[in-house]
Order: sequence, then C-alpha cells, then structure tokens
Amino acid sequence: MKNPVSLPMRVLWNGFFWTYERATWQYDVMVIAILAFVWLTPPSWLGDPMASGSGPVGWLLRLLIAD
Amino acid sequence: MTVTGLIGRICMFPLRLIINTCVALRIHPNILTFVGLLINVLAAFELARGHFIRAGLIIIAANIFDFIDGKVATELDAVSAFGGFWDSVIDRFSDIALFLGLIYLYSHLGRTDYVMITAIAMMFAIMTSYTRARAESLIKKCKVGFMERPERIVLFMIGAFTNRMAAVMWVIGVLSVFTVADRIIYTYRELRSSEQVIV
Repeated sequence: MKNPVSLPMRVLWNGFFWTYERATWQYDVMVIAILAFVWLTPPSWLGDPMASGSGPVGWLLRLLIAD
Repeated sequence: MTVTGLIGRICMFPLRLIINTCVALRIHPNILTFVGLLINVLAAFELARGHFIRAGLIIIAANIFDFIDGKVATELDAVSAFGGFWDSVIDRFSDIALFLGLIYLYSHLGRTDYVMITAIAMMFAIMTSYTRARAESLIKKCKVGFMERPERIVLFMIGAFTNRMAAVMWVIGVLSVFTVADRIIYTYRELRSSEQVIV
C-alpha cells in the first residue's frame, strides 16, 4: 500500500518528533541547519542586543574580496 | 563515521588524560560535579558582564568537570545512586546559572524582549529534564527530542565565542519546546499502548 503521507511532511514530522541518536547522519544534518541559522542570520534581523553586522560569514567574504 | 562522531573522538584524547589524572589522585566524583557548578557560576558572572569569550572559555572548563565525573566514578568504582541524583541536581543549577547570567545582561541593557526569550528558553530547558525524569518513573525510557543538555552547552559555547547569543537563545528556546512536546507525546503513546496490552 502506498504511504499517504508525503515526503516533505514526513521530513517535517521526523524533525519535530526527534528520535535519532547522536552521531547519525540525521543528527549531522540538524547540527548543520542550526549552525547555518546561528551564523548566517544577520544579528539585526533578530534584534541581537550584543551583536551587529554580518557575522563570521560576512567577515570571510570581506577577506576573500580584499584578496 | 559522521562529522559529529569524529569531533567527539578527537575531544576524547585530552579528556582521557584528565580522567586518568583524577583517577590517579582519587578525587571523589561528587567533588568534581560541585567544582563544575562553581565554575559555571563564574561563567554566568562573565555572561552577565557581557564578556562572552571569557564566559565561553570558562564554560569549557566547567563542562570538562561535568563530563568526567561519571567516567571517574566508574573507574574509581564509586558509582552510586546518590551520585547520579547529585549530578542531575547540580546540572540543573548549572543550567539555570548560565541563563540567569544572560537574563541579568539583557535586563541591564533594557531588552525586555530578550529577557523573556531567555526566560522561556530556561523554563523549557528545565522542563526537558523534568519531563524525562517524570516519564521514566512511569515508562522504561523517554529519550526523545533533540535539545538535551550537551546540545545546550555546545550552543552556549558557540554563541559565546562567535557573539551570536541571541540566535542561540532562539534555537534553544524553540527546540526545547519541541523536545518537551516530544516527551509528552511519547509518554502518552507508551502509556496508552501498555494500557491496551493490560486490557
């Protein structure tokens, strides 16, 4: 029988209802997603009281452009 | 091997050295746990003063103690029920101390919004532990949900070292809400299925 739940919905549900162990590929994907959010979201979008500017990614880009 | 698994293995080398030293000096694991709390309180002071890099370094030191106490207990043959209880209680104090440091900082800066976000993250971080402890008095195991203590601590370090504490508070807050919800759903399902078996 065909699974009635679509793949994107299953991915979303498995992301929400987390049952994976550490050191699995699913865990690595979640870690990458979290790090991307933390480092790529400009602090001004979140109204960060302590940080401003474009963060480590912006610094790296400026360094590459300067070279 | 996964990336996070590899990082874990690399970090084990220096930790092994510290564990061996503590075992050789026969330091009681409960003392190590308490020293970890004291160092975390120091980290909270640095967070409250907005010295994030210094706080990050202190959090690393504190969590070395927190990580090795269980291993030292095993190697000294000093594993006890009270040791497990003591460790869990002290861990909660350490968690709360770090959040309080940030709450003080944000309130000092007049940022009520981040005082609330951090307070909510703290509430759900504590509820994450409580739901598991309470669930495991009813069912065998309740180890679901992503945002457990090691993840929270690593995120605190990342936030401190890269000055991204606001984003980290959002992540801890949202994923802790999910984790608590996961544990409630899981416990409900487990209890329902066991009731059906009995009937």
